Parts: sequence; C-alpha cells; structure tokens
Amino acid sequence: MDSWVVAMMLGASLVLGGIALIAFLWGIKNGQFDDETKMMNQVLYDDEGELNDAANQQRKREELKKKAYKPE
Amino acid sequence: MSKVKCDHCHLEFNDDVMIHDGEYRFCCNGCRGIFHLLKDEGLESFYSKMGDTTLSPPTEQFEASSNFDTPAFSERFVTRTKEGLSQVSLVIEGIHCAACVWLNEKALHKMEGVIEAHINYTNNKARITWDPDTVKLSAIIDMIRAIGYNAFPYDASLQEVRANKERKEYYLRMAVATFATMNMMWIAVAQYAGYFTGITQDIKTILNIAEWFLATPVLFYSGWVFYRGAYYGLKNRLVTMDLLVVTGSSLAYLYSIYITVFEKGEAYFDSVAMIITFVLFGKFLEVLSRKNAADTLDIIGKHIPREVSVVEGDSIRSVDVNEVKVGDVIVIRSGERSAIDGEVISGEGSFDESNLTGESEPIFKRIGDRIISGTTSIDALMHYRATKDFAHSTLSNLVNLLENAMAQKPSIEQLANRLSQHFSSTILFLAIATFWAWYFWPHSFDRSLMVGISVIIIACPCALALATPVATLVGLALGAKRGILFKSAAQIETMASSTMVVLDKTGTITQGRPEVVYSTIHQPFDTGALYTLVSSSKHPISRGVMEYLERTEEGIDSCNIEEAREIPARGMVGRFNGAMIAGGNALFMQELGIDVDTSSDKSLFYYAVNNKLAARYELRDLPKERAYESISLLKNLHLRVVMLTGDHEAAALRVANEVGIDEVYSHLTPEGKAAFIDQAHSEGHVVVMAGDGVNDLLALAASDIAIAMGNGSDIAIEVSDVVLMNDSLTSLAEAFSISRKTYTLIKQNLGISLVYNSITIPLAMMGYVIPLIAAISMSFSSLLVVGNSMRVRWLYK
Repeated sequence: MDSWVVAMMLGASLVLGGIALIAFLWGIKNGQFDDETKMMNQVLYDDEGELNDAANQQRKREELKKKAYKPE
Repeated sequence: MSKVKCDHCHLEFNDDVMIHDGEYRFCCNGCRGIFHLLKDEGLESFYSKMGDTTLSPPTEQFEASSNFDTPAFSERFVTRTKEGLSQVSLVIEGIHCAACVWLNEKALHKMEGVIEAHINYTNNKARITWDPDTVKLSAIIDMIRAIGYNAFPYDASLQEVRANKERKEYYLRMAVATFATMNMMWIAVAQYAGYFTGITQDIKTILNIAEWFLATPVLFYSGWVFYRGAYYGLKNRLVTMDLLVVTGSSLAYLYSIYITVFEKGEAYFDSVAMIITFVLFGKFLEVLSRKNAADTLDIIGKHIPREVSVVEGDSIRSVDVNEVKVGDVIVIRSGERSAIDGEVISGEGSFDESNLTGESEPIFKRIGDRIISGTTSIDALMHYRATKDFAHSTLSNLVNLLENAMAQKPSIEQLANRLSQHFSSTILFLAIATFWAWYFWPHSFDRSLMVGISVIIIACPCALALATPVATLVGLALGAKRGILFKSAAQIETMASSTMVVLDKTGTITQGRPEVVYSTIHQPFDTGALYTLVSSSKHPISRGVMEYLERTEEGIDSCNIEEAREIPARGMVGRFNGAMIAGGNALFMQELGIDVDTSSDKSLFYYAVNNKLAARYELRDLPKERAYESISLLKNLHLRVVMLTGDHEAAALRVANEVGIDEVYSHLTPEGKAAFIDQAHSEGHVVVMAGDGVNDLLALAASDIAIAMGNGSDIAIEVSDVVLMNDSLTSLAEAFSISRKTYTLIKQNLGISLVYNSITIPLAMMGYVIPLIAAISMSFSSLLVVGNSMRVRWLYK
C-alpha cells in the first residue's frame, strides 16, 4: 500500500471530523445548549407558526437596519 | 357536585361557582380575560401545548407599569446595544411548563418593536431586546401581565455574565481538546503497533504530521488557560501547576516537531494533548463547582422595596426610594415592607420585626414609635415621617455591610494548591538537573533533552490535578443524597479544617415556634370555642395553643363564635353561647380585671370565660429532635460549640442546658453576632456558623462556612455555603463528617499521585521511559485517583 493512501484517508477523516467539531462549537457559541430543559422541548415547537415567527423577527430586524441608514 | 376544569388555568372547581361564558367555564375574570386575549391574538394553540399542566390564576396586585419607563429604572436595569436598541433582563414569574415559555416568547414577538425575546426555561430569566422608538418597556411588561405572568427586573450584573462566559469558554476548549485527543488515540495505536512490529519512516512521518495537526489547537487553544495562569503566576513570582503543565507540554511539543521534521526517534504529541485535556478537565470541574456570588445580591435586591408612597398635600404618589427626603410623610399599608426609617405620626398596628431582631412576636406600634426599614407591617395602616433617607436607613446599611462582608470573606488556601507549588518547582528542578547530568555524562544534546522532557511528562500533573476535584465531587454527591447541599466544592475542605461551630438558637437549635409544655385548667370550659378563637389568629402563640388542642383533644371541631376580633398586642375576644370569651396575654387579662399568676419564665397564654380565668398555658420554643445527640457528636469531632442568640439570657441558658452547650452568648444584635465571629477569627479559629434568619445574615457572611436551614429565609440560604434541606441538627453533624471524609479522600488521592511519581520519576531520570510508557502511566495514575474516589462512593451508598 502506498503511503499516500494513508495520508489521504487520515486527512479526509480529520477534515470530516473537523467540520463536525466546528458545527458543535458554533452550536455552543450560539447558545443552543444554554438551556437544557428548553432544548429538550424545542422539538415540540417547530411547525409552520414557528417558521413564520422567525421570518417575522428577521423582517423586523431588517426594517430597523433600513431605518438606521435612512438619511435625515 | 361535578368538578369542572377552568378553561384557562385548568384548575378544577365546582360547576356552580364558575363563570359561564358560552361553552367555556372560567374560575375567575382574570382567567377569562387571558383566554379571550389569547384567542384574539391567535395564540390559543397554547392550551393544546400545555397538556396536563395547571397554571396559577392571575393576580391583580401589580405596581404601576409606568415605573418601568422612568429614567431611574432604565439607568439601573436597561442596557443599550450597539445598534441603538434597548435590552433588559427580567425574571418572569408564573412559568410552569415549556408552553408558558412558548406563549411569552410568541406574544412578545408579535409586538411591533420587540426585536428579540429569549426566555430561559430552567431559571425563568428573560432577555428582551426592543426598539425604544417604537415601543415602551411598560407596554412590554403590560403584555406579559395581560397573558397572566408577571415580570420583575434583575440586574444582570457583570459577575453573572462573566461567570456564564467563563463556563462557555471552558466548554469550547474542552470540546476541542476532547475531539483532538480522542482522534489522536487511534493514530497513536498505529504508532505503538509500528514501534513494536516495525514501521517505515514515511508512514511514521505521516502519522506524526497528523498528530502535529491535532495537537496544535489543543496546546494553543485549549491550553491557553494554562499559559495565562503561568504568566500571572510568574508575574507574582509563584511557581504554579500551570507553569509545570505549560513547560512540560510546550517542550514536548517543540521536541516532537523537531523529531517529525528530522525524522528520527519518537514524537510525544499524544502526551501533549493528553496532559492538556486531563488537566483542563480537572480545572473545569473546579469552575463548575465554584459558587456564583452574582445571584446572591440579586435576591437581596428583590427584598428591598424600590418605591414608597409619599403623601403630598392631599394626594399620595409613588416615589423612588432614593428620592425620599428626611421629613417626607410616608404611608405604609398592611403587608408592605418599609424601606425607610421613620417615626409614626398617625395610625397604629403591629409589625413583624423577626427579620432584623429574630423576635418571633409581632411588635405593636403607635404614634411616636420608631419604624425600622426592612420590617413588615402585619395589619398596620399608618403614616410616618422619614427620619433618615434611604441610603442611611437600617436596611441599606445592612445590605452594605453584607456586601462588604461577602467581599472580604476569608478563603483558606486549598491543600492541592499549596502542594502543587512545591511539587512544580521540584519537578522543574529535577528535569533541568537530569538534562545537565545526561549532557555532561556525555550524551548527545537530543538524547539529554528527551530524557529531561520525559521527567516532566511522566511527573504528569494529571493525577494531581484530578485529585481534588474528583474527591470533592464525590463529597458533593454524598451530601446531596442526605439533603446537605454544599454550594461550592472548595468549601468542603474549609469545613473539614474548621475548629469552631457557632449555632443560632431560634430556628436552628430550637424549632422556632412555641409549643405548649404545661397547662393549668382552672374551671371546665368548651375547648371547641377556645380552638375556634385561637385558630382565627396567626400569632405564633395562638398557633402553638391551637396545635396543642389538636394534639390533645380528639375530634375537636370549630364552632360558631360571634363578634370574634383580634386586639393587637393583647389577644382575641369573641362571644360564644352568650358568654364573653377572651384569650391573650397577662396584660390583656389585667385590663379585663382578672388577677393572674404571671410567675413563669415562659410565654403565657390565658383563657377567660365571662371574665373568669378558665385556663393557663405555658409555651416555649423546644429544641429540635435529637439535638442533644447531634451536639455531642459535634463535640466528639473536637469542635468548640457556641450558641449565639438575640434572646434573653434565661431562655438561652435553658435551651443550652438541654442540648448540652456550655458556651452561650445572649442579647446579641445582628452586628454583635458578626463581631463575635470576627473575634473568633482573630483568635485563629476557622468558624462554621449555622443560622436561619435575616438577623443571622451578617454573622453568616462573616464566617468561613455559613450553613443555612432549608426553611430559613431566602437571603440566609443565598448567603450560605451549605444548606441543610431537612433542617435537622443531625444533618449538621453529618455535614461535618462528610466534609472530613472528603478531605481524607483528597489527601489520599494526592498521596497516591505523589507515590506514583516517586516511582516513575527516577525511572524517567535514568532514561527508561519511552512515549508508550509515559502515556500508559499518565492514564493509569489518573484512573487510580478516580477509582479511589469512586470506592468511597460505593462504600457509602
């Protein structure tokens, strides 16, 4: 077996693992694991209403940004 | 009659008392209002989400929400974000289930101008971000109240934010370290297999490079805390454990890079990652079990009224406590807590001063009497003139004293910290000596350097770093099972080395409520009438008599008494079957023209029918069960046991005799108790204080270890380091024995890791240690320490 195969497999698996690690770190930083009880219940609240709610909040935030840039 | 569920709160009531509203049933108008509001807002799916949970029906007594818009409020609680938005931290009251969190967030998100509402289900704290140009905070608060919850602000003080940030930072560092170390282990398997069975140099280099790649973030990202610790240690001229970790791992790392690049010998990358990961884990356990002081001051803040009602001409206005001037006339209603010291100018009634004095009996106040801030009006509606402003009132002073005391709380350096200093310097010295010895022997520079590094690595501080945290965690778990909550692991060690235990009398040694110990019946009477009379009062003495009657008379039932009323500071009167019945203290009887025998050192309760004495009860606060045994257990642990009380000497001495305490100090003010503790400190004692009330607060804060009773006041529990959930003195004694056992365990663990090192370090100095042995010994010593701690856990199951 050529040694480059070992190198490639090692590299590929480390990159894949690294991606998972980065995703996990992003989750921690984002506060997704802050509230253990809420986290367990979150699965119950993800229907259409929640998506609309999230979109609504996004809209409010963008409107606010626009307002801030409005020339006087 | 059939029980029907209220459609909002889901509590069950009889159908005929419910409010009928079409097909719906409500227990009160509050519930009906919320139900319709949710329906109008399209939020009725809340009810399907909440399932079987029941809510508490809404209450109506709120302070005006406009207070939330005042500049004073926003200065204290509202912060500005970078985008020019306002942010406030609130505690939401009334959250019972996940659906409540959903409802609050949803309702707030629906409001125009609310950018973000985030509610933590675990601690009910909410963080709300809003645009102050679009919506006012009072409108947000009104919305929370409208849907049946209440919110009060808390200072998300920097401390708490910092503590959470620190914890999160550790999570991140540990995630990286664990990931890298675990991956490195399977690469290491290939390395070791190659070491014994042969491996080509190019494969070895590939594996080394992969390990190098993994070890780098562990050392520089996860290990950053150690670099920081080592730097600050050196700045203060201290050789810390951090320095040992940093030198060992950095040298090993550099050496391994050298090996990898020049393709000779064995790399130590796996040891680098393992040291950092293990020690980081130990450090994290310490951070987890450190007490969070931030919450304490929040709770104290909650007990201080923020506003008072001030009379201005004909009107009464709510005024921020800080704006009240000396001479202002303040109104206090029943149930309110006073925030400012003053003198009564009209009205009378009784005050609960147990908060400050520990005196369980209400104090009757009339014109000219002094009002002390922090006390609660039981039934008084009165006007009083402020004699001090808020900052100089008793309550503020107490809070200031408390904050000072907590900031100056003595801390005893932990055994492991003391030990690790000597250990670290010794190991560093040995490593350097080994290097020079080998270099001058003569060996090559490489070889000498490798042996020197192997000394540091094999001396692995892993076991040492884990010794204390693992043992204390076991101690914490042991205590928790028996209802003894140690709030901070470090305190176990301090408690184990304590030499003196100070106990409060009322509520700690005694039960904190009077019980009838002796009764004299002068003439037969209907006990049912007396029972009804005493049960109409909340006074502790009446309660004591009531419980006594329930205990001694079988099947006692209340009967009808006419014109029953309570006379403050006297007793109760009423009319039963045409006869005038009266119960109360000696003063009351003398006023009724009855001559009574007052010769007793206990609290007395008299009962008279038609102005003739019928019965006399002697009541006193009895010691808790098994108090004597527990005190003698404490004495057997060679502790100096002292009792402090604000009560008078005779009562104090009697209780002390009963439970076997020789040293008693009575008539002490809260400040006096704290002074006593300071005095003990200056005599070189490590003091444990157990108390339950606000009057013990200062003493609790001054002591090395503060123990609160589970049913004590909130603030006492917050200030304390240990909470005894079942209030018993037996668990106090148990808390001592657990802490001593844990301390023994810590010593054993440290011993194990030191013995281990004394065997392996000479081997390393002689150059017998290859990377595999270093790795195995590292894991094995850590396992030994963890295993030893677990042994105790199984032993005391």
